[in-house]
Amino acid sequence: MAELTLVEAVNLALHHEMEHDPNVVLLGEDVGDNGGVFRATVGLKQKYGLKRVIDTPLAEALIGGVAVGMATQGLRPVAEFQFQGFISPAMEHLICHAARMRNRTRGRLTCPAVFRAPFGGGIHAPEHHSESVEAFFAHTAGFKVVVPSSPQRAYGLLLAAIRSNDPVMFFEPKRIYRTVKSEVVDNGKALPLDTCFTLRKGRDITLVTWGACVVESLQAAQTLSNQGIEAEVIDLASIKPIDTATIFHSLEKTGRLLVVHEASKTCGVGAELLARTAEHAMCLLKAPPKRVTGMDTVMPYYRNEDYYMIQEQDIVLAARELVEGWK
Amino acid sequence: MKTFNLPDLGEGLAESEIIKWHINAGDLVQLDQVVLTVETAKATVDVPAPYSGRIVRRYGEEGDVINIGALLLEIDETGAELLTSEKSQTADAATVVGNVSQQAHSVNVDDFWIGGEHSPSTDNLIVALPSARLLANKLGVDLNGMKGSGPDGLIVDSDVYKEASKQHRGTEVLKGARRTMVSTMSESHHNVAAVTITEEAVLEHWGASEDISIRLVQAIVHACKEEPAMNAWFDAETMTRCVHSTVNIGIAVDSRHGLYVPVLRHADEYEPNDVRRWLDQTVQGIRERKIAREQLQHATITLSNFGAIAGIFATPVVTPPQVAIVGAGRIIEKVVIRNQQAVAVKALPLSITFDHRACTGGEAARFTKALTEHLRKAVGK
Repeated sequence: MAELTLVEAVNLALHHEMEHDPNVVLLGEDVGDNGGVFRATVGLKQKYGLKRVIDTPLAEALIGGVAVGMATQGLRPVAEFQFQGFISPAMEHLICHAARMRNRTRGRLTCPAVFRAPFGGGIHAPEHHSESVEAFFAHTAGFKVVVPSSPQRAYGLLLAAIRSNDPVMFFEPKRIYRTVKSEVVDNGKALPLDTCFTLRKGRDITLVTWGACVVESLQAAQTLSNQGIEAEVIDLASIKPIDTATIFHSLEKTGRLLVVHEASKTCGVGAELLARTAEHAMCLLKAPPKRVTGMDTVMPYYRNEDYYMIQEQDIVLAARELVEGWK
Repeated sequence: MKTFNLPDLGEGLAESEIIKWHINAGDLVQLDQVVLTVETAKATVDVPAPYSGRIVRRYGEEGDVINIGALLLEIDETGAELLTSEKSQTADAATVVGNVSQQAHSVNVDDFWIGGEHSPSTDNLIVALPSARLLANKLGVDLNGMKGSGPDGLIVDSDVYKEASKQHRGTEVLKGARRTMVSTMSESHHNVAAVTITEEAVLEHWGASEDISIRLVQAIVHACKEEPAMNAWFDAETMTRCVHSTVNIGIAVDSRHGLYVPVLRHADEYEPNDVRRWLDQTVQGIRERKIAREQLQHATITLSNFGAIAGIFATPVVTPPQVAIVGAGRIIEKVVIRNQQAVAVKALPLSITFDHRACTGGEAARFTKALTEHLRKAVGK
């Protein structure tokens, strides 16, 4: 079995689902002939034709609106936005229509669309190419928000997203598109959209993270292990709905919570995790919960990008403070 | 020999500037090894070698602006045999902007459990209020195996206190007067600029049955009239001082339940016998814990007669907003020179602490002088 990168696993899931469900259609800028800005849709137009793999004009509002129309009329569109920062022109369609179609029609219509977008920084890209705004969508009722962080999870979660009867925002961590590889089983099995994934077991501290930060978090966990601190690493994966049960079970063991995300701190998903922990698991905590996040600034241009990006050392320091400061 | 031209770096940008060459002519390069960095209008891009081989020649210098398709390198592939000859299959990352790394991470991201553990052991689960955890930490109480009194066995602060007296015999939670003492003394210690003056009152002229407490009360009343600055309230926050015309003496009384300081109000209006009666009644009241709150308030100066038990000199602690306290030690016998003769006399050691923020040293010394001289007299008044 060949090792696939994360973006290749996305491609594999699209191939699988287009083959097995004739209602699945793709649309987006350059998804057809070009194979996608990051090559996520390579080979699909050649295989399934231009009626099912549609190159759109450079008009994100159009992509959003057409996808909503297709989805409400029985198709399962998978729309690609080239970068998460370009979703803004489509927000009206997403928030005012996609997210509330089921509610508006009292269940008569649903909107089974997937909106894919690469997100996050660290690739030396210019403005609007490095955003992490998953919290926008988690805050809006009606969406599921999913962030895969490994090839197998990208495959299984994308299948689940396409099969979901409600709109799913599917954000792919482009920084690790090609830096993580693993053997992906092409078995057509979807992974749950409402569950965290535990990547490493540990007794001292619970690291909750998602997206590209999973890599630094796992590296930090290894470093911490060498220093005698065993971190449990949880990939949140499903930003909404949030699986707090898995996190709280982990806290029963560790009593210490560190949330790591690349998005800026204020009103980020980390804030929600800390709030829920305060509401429901306060009495399990041995230390005040903590966040390592991006800054409350516009994502800097690439020359200063490294100052913004979370480094392994940031996570190690925060974790040690939580463990050693609160014995 | 193969040539390498500047590839299309995306977004239809025709020009790029060479920022840095990473190789020189003659170098051996691997497939995908970064050979130069260029900057487009939107991003810096590391350009990898398309083949393995030896660099024959480089075209363009750092700072040059070059076009798509411009010749960059001549590479001699025969030199590649010296390197690992991997099949030349250039990975197509296809980023039109930015630079998606292809460098593999050494972590395994795809080893996961869906959710968490199936049945986490709850044997050692401790459910405790954060405040209770802090308290337990401070008191050295082990929460393991403890059952709390809160909902679902939640451990709350009072459980920790109870457990503390079990785990560490003799530990008790301070209450009442002892608890009050903690805060008043800490406040004083942190805020007051305390200076203590010591002096002795020689008691040559005292009769056999002088009542020390009455004499001290009378002396303080006298000294306060002479030097009212020591009979005052002071507040640093508002920068205010209130010098009192009446003298309310707080008298420190030791009891099993802690330190009490009942206040003899208008001490200046009391007859000696009335002072004694008041003292006896008050001490009795404290023993029976029947002292009213208002009896402990509004002192303008304090007297601590610790010498009734033991001690000669001390550094008594001023209680804000008061500015002074008089401490009386145990009466001692000493030898003094009188008319060039050594004479044994009795002396009352005095320790007067004052808040130097509110009183000058001169005021304190004059007060001390007045106090001592009054005590020295044969009879009070």
